[in-house]
Amino acid sequence: MKRNHIVCCLALLAGSSAYGPLAAAQDTIKLGLSSPLSGSGAPWGIGAQWLCKKAAAEIAEAGGVNVKGKTYHFACVSYDNKYNAADGAKVAQALISKDEVKFIAGSIGTAPVRALQSLSERKGVLLFTSAWGASIKGPKFPLTFTQMNTTNEIAGPMTQYVAGRHPIKTVALLNPNDATGQEAEKIARQAWEAAGVKVVSSDWYERGSSEFQPVAAKLGSLKPDAVDLCSTPPADSGLVFKELAGMGWNGVKVVEVGTGADGLIATGGKAVEGVYLGAAVSLDGPNATDHQRALDAGVRKATGDSINAVQIGTYDAVYALKAGIEKAQSLEPEEVAKVLPSVRFRSFYGESGFGGEKTYGSPQQMLLPVIVTQLKDGKLVEITRLPAGGQK
Amino acid sequence: MQNFLQLSFTALQIGAVYILFSLGLTLIFGVLRIVNFAHGQFFTLSALCASVAVPWLAALGLPVWAAYVAACVAGVALTSLFGAVVYELGFKRVERDMIGSFILSAGLVLMIEGALLKLFGGGVRPVPPLFEGNVDVLGVSVASQRLVLCAVAVGLTVALTRALGTTRFGKALRAVSIDHEAAMLQGIPYRRIAFLGFMAATAVGAVAGALIAPVAAVTPTLGDSYLVKGFIAVVIGGMGSVPGAILGSLFIAFIESFVGFHFDPSVANLAIFVLVMVFLLVRPKGLMGHD
Repeated sequence: MKRNHIVCCLALLAGSSAYGPLAAAQDTIKLGLSSPLSGSGAPWGIGAQWLCKKAAAEIAEAGGVNVKGKTYHFACVSYDNKYNAADGAKVAQALISKDEVKFIAGSIGTAPVRALQSLSERKGVLLFTSAWGASIKGPKFPLTFTQMNTTNEIAGPMTQYVAGRHPIKTVALLNPNDATGQEAEKIARQAWEAAGVKVVSSDWYERGSSEFQPVAAKLGSLKPDAVDLCSTPPADSGLVFKELAGMGWNGVKVVEVGTGADGLIATGGKAVEGVYLGAAVSLDGPNATDHQRALDAGVRKATGDSINAVQIGTYDAVYALKAGIEKAQSLEPEEVAKVLPSVRFRSFYGESGFGGEKTYGSPQQMLLPVIVTQLKDGKLVEITRLPAGGQK
Repeated sequence: MQNFLQLSFTALQIGAVYILFSLGLTLIFGVLRIVNFAHGQFFTLSALCASVAVPWLAALGLPVWAAYVAACVAGVALTSLFGAVVYELGFKRVERDMIGSFILSAGLVLMIEGALLKLFGGGVRPVPPLFEGNVDVLGVSVASQRLVLCAVAVGLTVALTRALGTTRFGKALRAVSIDHEAAMLQGIPYRRIAFLGFMAATAVGAVAGALIAPVAAVTPTLGDSYLVKGFIAVVIGGMGSVPGAILGSLFIAFIESFVGFHFDPSVANLAIFVLVMVFLLVRPKGLMGHD
């Protein structure tokens, strides 16, 4: 009998020790990510995934997230949304219903993000997004925050700047025919017209297309002074510029929300020389910090491409969430969302906060500078930093 | 006139790769009476091999063109070997079984794509340019690289169609494609021809993948859009018909080029789908299909 008691006690001890990790798991705050991990947008998603884990590790090393005397650590959970609404909806279900995530630290692509947002707002999940569509922002979506400059912030200052540097009279636009492209096109068109440049054509292509010769033939035949590929991903942009160069066109090349040089060069080669990008980050200058360079090196290792604003948005969102959770002293997304507009946090670019009330009706846009970069001799060079449009 | 010539050149360049891709699809259908949806993955594997091997061989000191030729040979060989394994373990058991082969090839698409994503990552893999600069052809500016790749693709297509029409193996393939039982009664070894036919089709797809690598965004999902276009070309041309696949591919390339120019690339895609629906209604067996 005594022996049975000893066995029972040992079993209980073994059982309780087995529950140790589970108890520790309760101190973890899951951060969801819905981003493309395959296709031409994959570098954005893979880089965002790496930066989420990196920010979580840095915060853990610095003491974690402190709420009411208890320490929490972030853990990143990510799924491939393949940059489309159907997979975006599946990812939304997986993150919110299966993994029971309460905070989404990063989501990329207007179409998949719309699918995610329809569930996240309903289920009280706080959503950070890099999606460029303006229709997913505003007072109707109190739990949604934008973690990077979008077309609204970039287009105005960028087009004014480029039009001021070159004698541009005409521009041709090209966008993917999805929600991101449609929303980006409207803003880009207005921005070019406001800069006194005539938009001679605006075309659409299917995301995932492999042949850009026909549309390049069309763009080239119009002989525009500039071609703006707006929200086209870097790899696709490189192909378009290569085809245009093959047809003899050599005007001013712009990718307004262009995020990376390596993807462009990978497919465009020498044809992408001189391209202006509005959402890329160059760390070759003397102002870059060791920490920024270390993050860039990590992203390069993970994706083969330089760090860019889309990926950085996820890194910044993790720090914004830490600041918000600690200020609210709560793990309830609604409570955190209420205090986020008033927090200041450490972003990749320096101290930052939220604004954009005049443009969107609520202060849910991360306040960041517009960094204009250009490809010169195959290297990404920072040309200037401009105040973001409409962020007052 | 300038635009017409530019668009015609564009259509021929695009069409050359579509032809090679759809020839593989139609050969497999002709011999085995199955639709291989995993054909795009064979195409992708070869392109990915080229994207890995060309920079590596070039870094070892080989000229880019030599590195590219060696990478193409390696990519096609590896893809063919993989095709042989897939045939022996899978397709051999579902030949002439439309539903079984559909399930098998759909599963293979997911499995191979997932494996390629794990192995090569999701990002774009650059292939160094083989030739720089443009040439003027009839007053139209064409990238030298595109022109050379197009010439190679056209040459391969001509060689393949001639081989199918004149060689013993080609005649056996055609005989099996028309009536495999009658072919067997004539002493044609069906099993061997089916295996070799599958291998030849896979190799042709692999050649197309290696050829497109220097001018495309090479990722593990590269073959997806080519599969759709190639399949439509085969349906329009007639399942199992080699001349049909060539005609269907050129038809799609011209629609893509001209409609894309005068309207929009999105409208061009829409037009292709509408046309294939019309074809299926008016001529269900395609332009040159047979029972």
